Amino acid sequence: MDNLGFLFAANAFVWGGIIFYVHTLKQRSRALEKDLEILKETLSKEG
Amino acid sequence: MNDSDTVEEQEESSILVWLTGLTFLAAMVAVFIYVPTERTEGVIQRIMYFHIPCAWLSFFAFFVVFICSILFLWKKDREWDIYAHASAGIGVVFCSLVLITGPIWARPIWGAWWVWDARLTSTLILWIIYVSYLMLRSQSDAGSMRARYAAVLGIVGFLDIPLIHFSVLWWRSFHPQPKVISSEGIGKGMETGMLATLGISLCAFTLLYFLLMGVRVRQEKLKDEVDRLKRETLYSS
Repeated sequence: MDNLGFLFAANAFVWGGIIFYVHTLKQRSRALEKDLEILKETLSKEG
Repeated sequence: MNDSDTVEEQEESSILVWLTGLTFLAAMVAVFIYVPTERTEGVIQRIMYFHIPCAWLSFFAFFVVFICSILFLWKKDREWDIYAHASAGIGVVFCSLVLITGPIWARPIWGAWWVWDARLTSTLILWIIYVSYLMLRSQSDAGSMRARYAAVLGIVGFLDIPLIHFSVLWWRSFHPQPKVISSEGIGKGMETGMLATLGISLCAFTLLYFLLMGVRVRQEKLKDEVDRLKRETLYSS
């Protein structure tokens, strides 16, 4: 079938883009939660 | 926020995850199995079922930026700034996908990856405006003057969207005329199966927007909390 490669490429970019973005968000959330935990621990030790 | 609120929030978000996943599955089945192949363009036309929903999602996200930026400047409430910032990021991601899938569709149909046509150029300008917005926001603290400048940019940037929509009607364009919202009425320019498939795909991408928005808003709030605790640690030491 003609142009199937183009259709596949567009589909791959959309899914790849969504998966990459979700992965980045997940990593950022984890880093923020870790920072929050460390800061809370530091403050409870000091206070 | 107490524990029962968190549990309720988690339950809501898991329902949304499942709903989004199932709608995407239905959209994939419709796009690759159910919908008939378009006569003139052939199989490549199926890109439309990703391309239009990505464009819809980005325009909707920028509309949220527009409304929330106005409310932020008016009420000076950080909550609106959080929503605007979160939505702009999602809008830029999907506007990038529009700018990627468009040329992939254009290459076999127009014989060129890109033409400096009014719709393509105005979409590229929209992308540049909101990338600038994000760059400005990344350099500014919550409630600062720069956050207010970014809000103004978020409002002005949205004015490009009506221009994108009407560009194919106002100027000669390579880009096809609107088929979903046309002068004949909503969805009148399309075959029923194609319209239904596009509808499912639009639903899936809209649900994805709300899902991503929930995550991004939670992140911004976490970031505020981290910044607050950092300041507290600094003053206490």
